[in-house]
Amino acid sequence: MTIEARLDHIRGAVPPRNHNARTIAALTSNPGCARRAIMDAAGVDKQRLASCAGFPAPFGQSQFAITRGNAFEAQVKANGCAELLRLLREGLGLPLPEVSYADLEEVGGNTSRELRHSRTRGLLARAAASGADAGTLFDHPLLRLAVAGQQVYLEPDLIAFRLHGQFHVVEMKSFAVIDGQADGDKVAAAATQSAVYVLALRELLAGEGYGPDTVSHEAVLVCPENFSNAPVATLVDVRKQLTVLRRQLSRLEHIDSLVELLPPGLTLDLKADEAGVAGRPPAELAGAIRTVPARYVPECLATCEMCYFCREEARGATATLGRDVRDDLGAVETVHAALGLADGTLDPADDLAEAAAMLQVAARLRREALGGTA
Amino acid sequence: MDEIERTIERLRAEVRRAAVSGDRTRARAMRAELREAERAWDESLARLEERPPASLGSAPVDQPGPLLPVREQVHQALTLLGTPAAQRLIIAVHEAFFGSPLAAARLTSLRRDEERSFRAAPYSRPYYLCTALTADLLAPARGLLAVSTWPIERRVIGPLSPRVNYLEAAIRVAESLLRMPKPSQAAERLLRRFAANIPGAADGARPKDPHLVVAAAHAELEIHSAEDGSVRREAAARARARLDDAEQLFGSRMRVIPRTGTGA
Repeated sequence: MTIEARLDHIRGAVPPRNHNARTIAALTSNPGCARRAIMDAAGVDKQRLASCAGFPAPFGQSQFAITRGNAFEAQVKANGCAELLRLLREGLGLPLPEVSYADLEEVGGNTSRELRHSRTRGLLARAAASGADAGTLFDHPLLRLAVAGQQVYLEPDLIAFRLHGQFHVVEMKSFAVIDGQADGDKVAAAATQSAVYVLALRELLAGEGYGPDTVSHEAVLVCPENFSNAPVATLVDVRKQLTVLRRQLSRLEHIDSLVELLPPGLTLDLKADEAGVAGRPPAELAGAIRTVPARYVPECLATCEMCYFCREEARGATATLGRDVRDDLGAVETVHAALGLADGTLDPADDLAEAAAMLQVAARLRREALGGTA
Repeated sequence: MDEIERTIERLRAEVRRAAVSGDRTRARAMRAELREAERAWDESLARLEERPPASLGSAPVDQPGPLLPVREQVHQALTLLGTPAAQRLIIAVHEAFFGSPLAAARLTSLRRDEERSFRAAPYSRPYYLCTALTADLLAPARGLLAVSTWPIERRVIGPLSPRVNYLEAAIRVAESLLRMPKPSQAAERLLRRFAANIPGAADGARPKDPHLVVAAAHAELEIHSAEDGSVRREAAARARARLDDAEQLFGSRMRVIPRTGTGA
């Protein structure tokens, strides 16, 4: 059985889910999780799977956040990107004559993805070929990236082309930069998403015979400044995210080594009927999911639809206390075992002797610090 | 018109009854009829009020805005701007210079209604609200409204045109502001927003001096106008040669148009 056939079997009789920049960025957040890697490679609808297994995740972007994001983007891009041009001129030294703007959101009233992609490719290749003054702003280009053997279409908010013949990805986010500081997690997420676009853009231009230097590793992040709606632009270096992303994508390419570890005949098919109601009992489904090893960490709650399922499964394990605790405790896998080792009720095996001694010291310190009240 | 008003009354009651009784199919059907009747009412009102639209843009208009049909209001704003504009800008301009807010929801179907009306009876109105055309494919430019009496050159959107239109609109807004004896706050705010994004227009002690905005916009316009003009002229010639009357106004939806010259 080929890998594709096995993955198809795992997914069941439904079309695979499409990736977008958000889901690709999420791939990098927990690289060690085989469950996520397998499900993403197979294109499983994790949201539905989780709810059918009895653990629906209140997951996805809030409607308010989406509306807010779109409104901010529209404001920055209004009137031929007037506000953005000012930011790029002030911040990056974009010369005055470079104001050319190409709208790639539709081609002659047609919004088909193939058409838009080929036009994006044509316009960007032409801009790359003909020096600094051919094309500056490309609105909603449609890029493509191979993820786990599938071609995934991606839509960055905007790509700016500026002097020195380098493309910059511009990402607009509606979280505020207050006093020069923004929420670190959100910036990291935006940087990862930008890295996805940089990678896809490099791939597109590589297809036209241009090296990776054509696309800058510095993305332009546009956010509202302080408590106003006025946008501010910052350069974000995404080299680190690019490395992580490449590694994770190549891991998806080599999914076969993970698939081979799974029991043959495994499927996560919901056996849905025509009305879309899942026909498979939750318990059986949960059993099937459990055969794929997961690696739960609390961060999953923000990025993965399976998070509640995995958290329930990992209850009592040291991993639920976070990456730091898990790394500190090493081979001690459950909280129960850790407590047992600490108070001496459990006999440590040879390889756990060192950890047990540390835990006992920690327990003694805690007792002394609390004055015997605990 | 009395007849239409009675119909609208009756349909409103029907919609309410259907909604209350939970019959959504019927409610939807009734609502569609209601919209149709309201449109007919708008149109007959437009016929009553139709008059040459000249000289509207130059000064603040005293008659209360809401009594005008939406297309008249949009036309006023566009005439003032002198360039194709997006909905948001049209609304802002109308509010700033004509003192009444425009309902955004009513703008959405406007272009389609105009196109339908033109195709049914070409040139029966003094002007139509139409689309701007993209320079390369001569397709309707997304989200931009224009006036049919403008030359095609003005309605074509090449790569540099969004910026050129922005600068030209800034000049027109600044000049209109100069003509107003007592500019409204909304108008000054609009000019400030324009000025903020034009280099040299917002510098200095008086950031909202209209003269400064005009000068700065002209200075930047100088850089772009020659190249933009040639693209526009070429595309306009192509549009005249290849498109029929309706397509010249509302854009070609054909999938492939052989490209010529530099307009690709």
